Amino acid sequence: MVPGSDVATEAVGLRTHPLTSVVQGALWAAAASVGLISSIFTGDGWGDMNALLSLAISLVGGLVLGMGFGFLTWRFTRYVIDGTELRINSGIITKASRRIPYERIQSVDIAEPLVARIFGLAELRIEMAGGKDSRTSLRFLSLADARDLRRVLLARAHGTSPDDAPADEQRSIITVVSPERVMIGTVLSLDFLFAAVGSIALIVGAIWFGQFVVALGGIIPLGTWLAQIIAKRILQQWDFTLSRGDRGLRIERGLLSRTSQTIPYARVQGIAIKEPFVWRRFGWLRLEVDVAGYASHGDDEGVDSSSILLPIADRALADAVIAELIPGFATDVPRTAAPRRSRAFAPIGWRYRWVGANERTFVAREGWIERTTSIVPHHKTQSVELRQGPLQRRRRLATVEVHTPQGPVDADGRNLDADEARAVVLAQLARARAARG
Amino acid sequence: MDDLFTPPSGTWQRVSPKLATIRRILILIPSALLVVAGVLLLLLLAGLQWIGGVLIVLALAGAVWGWLWAGRNQRSWGYAENADDLLVTRGVMFKRLVAIPYGRMQFVDVEAGPLARAYGVATVTLHTASPETAADIPGLPAAEATRLRNRLTELGEAHGAGV
Repeated sequence: MVPGSDVATEAVGLRTHPLTSVVQGALWAAAASVGLISSIFTGDGWGDMNALLSLAISLVGGLVLGMGFGFLTWRFTRYVIDGTELRINSGIITKASRRIPYERIQSVDIAEPLVARIFGLAELRIEMAGGKDSRTSLRFLSLADARDLRRVLLARAHGTSPDDAPADEQRSIITVVSPERVMIGTVLSLDFLFAAVGSIALIVGAIWFGQFVVALGGIIPLGTWLAQIIAKRILQQWDFTLSRGDRGLRIERGLLSRTSQTIPYARVQGIAIKEPFVWRRFGWLRLEVDVAGYASHGDDEGVDSSSILLPIADRALADAVIAELIPGFATDVPRTAAPRRSRAFAPIGWRYRWVGANERTFVAREGWIERTTSIVPHHKTQSVELRQGPLQRRRRLATVEVHTPQGPVDADGRNLDADEARAVVLAQLARARAARG
Repeated sequence: MDDLFTPPSGTWQRVSPKLATIRRILILIPSALLVVAGVLLLLLLAGLQWIGGVLIVLALAGAVWGWLWAGRNQRSWGYAENADDLLVTRGVMFKRLVAIPYGRMQFVDVEAGPLARAYGVATVTLHTASPETAADIPGLPAAEATRLRNRLTELGEAHGAGV
């Protein structure tokens, strides 16, 4: 190879969309003004400056700085797609080059934050397994480019040539969760009820006693919590569409900011069935999924929302979706339940705690307020643990944990009979070994 | 004690007693500093002598407890290389046994701090895709650490199954 040719190839490559800097500016301006508004509400603001003036300054300042920064980032960011990997070169002063070998890709998502969506732009998120730094973002591309790139990356990740993949993959819709359903579900969840009733009670109390300033200390955190619940459970799950493609399930959701996720079939590490207290009366449940890489970053969108496989569903639909991702699962399996003497550790919860397995999956159930059933396919078992503390030893109890990558799935059997727990661990190791072949 | 934490086959390989020595040194240094500080307080500050006394008693108690803990804890560590999984156990009060199938290992770390190097031991840590695995084996003699690392890497490749 000619010396210097490496540099030459790095200078070519594709650029992200030129409007990136504008979006970046708008995002910064929004962030700056949101920060200022909340500090104005708590009474700080910027010293004695007029609130509107300071708001205008932060808006314009954020816009200009963000645009400047965004322009420079855009100017120095290029990406290259070749036969074996995706390379992203970036950095204004410190140069960074990230290589993403196709076979390491866990999932490829498209996110359209509200501001970017106005300009028809989207962010491409590529997840790899392991570590905090496993997500690579390419922002921003035009929506069509982002979709195209995702198609190419997913095809490459499965070792096929992107030319073989049809430009418009055939997708069949499994279900659309209507916004009304999501709203009803949210209203009937305990934390929403608590936050809403608490806020109303505080406001009424404040008016009744005329002590508005005192009550403000309680209303602001409760109100923020309420707003977060609404944003996370309703706005982000708006128009939730689950569809099926050749390579995995696709989730499209969001009212203001749209997100489009692909969960490849082979990458599912486990599924958690969650049945909150009130929902159980109606037979509703929520499905959350473990995909390596998803939960390791608490970004602006929150950890939970991208792990949600179905925000609200009936048992039959949920079973169908799980069966698609983990063939051969069953929750009706031979069980090892927590013995009665474990009630010292969980006076009520011990009754609802068991682990079990069939030939394909390990299942763990716990919780009496929110019942959680964790399902882990044997061939995804990362490691198995047996634990015992001094108090457990006195009651001949022990805890079993089947480890999965970080995420909502926690397949633990706490406070089981010690000998049974050991038997579960050994049996699980044997099953995991058999499943790996 | 009980057979809950015995390996399913074979016996535990124990770690080097030097681990206890190293930990005792790490405990004795701060205790010694606290005793010195206590003595100084006792001699120099007329009104606050009781603080110096309390400090000395606490530091000595901590040193004795740490001395005993280091020995017991070192003896509790063990590992076993089975046909398909690596097993690691540890803990006296809070016992733990973790089994990691070789094919699940993502990478293996060997590390040794300055004190560990002076005593010729190292810590081998296994990583899987799950952060809960947390399988580290401290106090391995350096040669054994290297052997284990190479062996595990080899087995990991042979059994490798991706994430």
